Amino acid sequence: MHIPVWLLYALIALVFWGITGVTQKLSTNHISTQLSFLWFAVAFVPIALVILATVPLDWQVKPRVFWLAVAGGTLNGLGAFTSFAALERGGKASIVIPLVYLFPLVTIFLAMVFLHERLTGVQVTGIVLAILAAVLLSREAPRQGDASR
Amino acid sequence: MAGGYGAPRRVEKRVSVTASDQTRASTEKQGFPPWLRFSLLTILLWGVWGALSKAVSNEIDAYLNQVLFTLGLIPLVAVVLRSHRLAGGRNRRRGIFYAFITGILGGTGNIAFFKSLTVGGQASVVVPLTAMSPLVTVLIALAVLREALSASQKVGLVLALAAIYLLSL
Repeated sequence: MHIPVWLLYALIALVFWGITGVTQKLSTNHISTQLSFLWFAVAFVPIALVILATVPLDWQVKPRVFWLAVAGGTLNGLGAFTSFAALERGGKASIVIPLVYLFPLVTIFLAMVFLHERLTGVQVTGIVLAILAAVLLSREAPRQGDASR
Repeated sequence: MAGGYGAPRRVEKRVSVTASDQTRASTEKQGFPPWLRFSLLTILLWGVWGALSKAVSNEIDAYLNQVLFTLGLIPLVAVVLRSHRLAGGRNRRRGIFYAFITGILGGTGNIAFFKSLTVGGQASVVVPLTAMSPLVTVLIALAVLREALSASQKVGLVLALAAIYLLSL
């Protein structure tokens, strides 16, 4: 079976991000989401330093691309903030978390309109199953006696 | 979550409802409740991030992208540093340790995600695929933490494997 390189990388991201689902929960069992986010962000510094020390980078990038990449970090982190806010402002985790996993729909819309990506029928089926899977998998049964969830 | 720091699977209930919260809640009764607005905002922010990452990946490599992503976190760190909720916690050392590990894993995952987009993965495929990260979370919970799967998680597990197969064709 031939696995395309892009798929291999995507599966690596899936595994790493999947493990963060556990470590993040272990973290926020002990400290606030704010302190947890702070140390999450601090950990990005050594990663960046390792990259700067070991990978030859081509800094000749258009200013527009440079700032869009920076904005990527801000958008992503801001999304984490708003997801915490949803949970703290009365959202039940069993509804909020599966709901936010619908975010790939926005990406697909933008990718088709602005990046002119085109999908085959098989890919569309796979994507629909993937989004359904993420929504179902992220849905934990509410704990007994925990009315807030 | 997406890349980076996502919605916690389950946070401990430690928020006390203050009088001002209640006033706000009653004034916000009309229209979407605040939690729904924040949820939709999250969908928008992460969704835009996915497409933006692809647009950027056409022009810069995964490593530079990760360095620049890190710069983008600085304003958020500045905001968090002002939070009065940084103090306290039941076991700060352990909580901070796991948060740091989350960052190392999340950042490394980011690089793989950017790599996937740079070598030709389409955002409309890679983003839904990597958004299935709860698959791994659930498998770990099952194997290590011995947590039971809910019925919907079992269905999700089967759909996830089918999705990976279809997207690999």
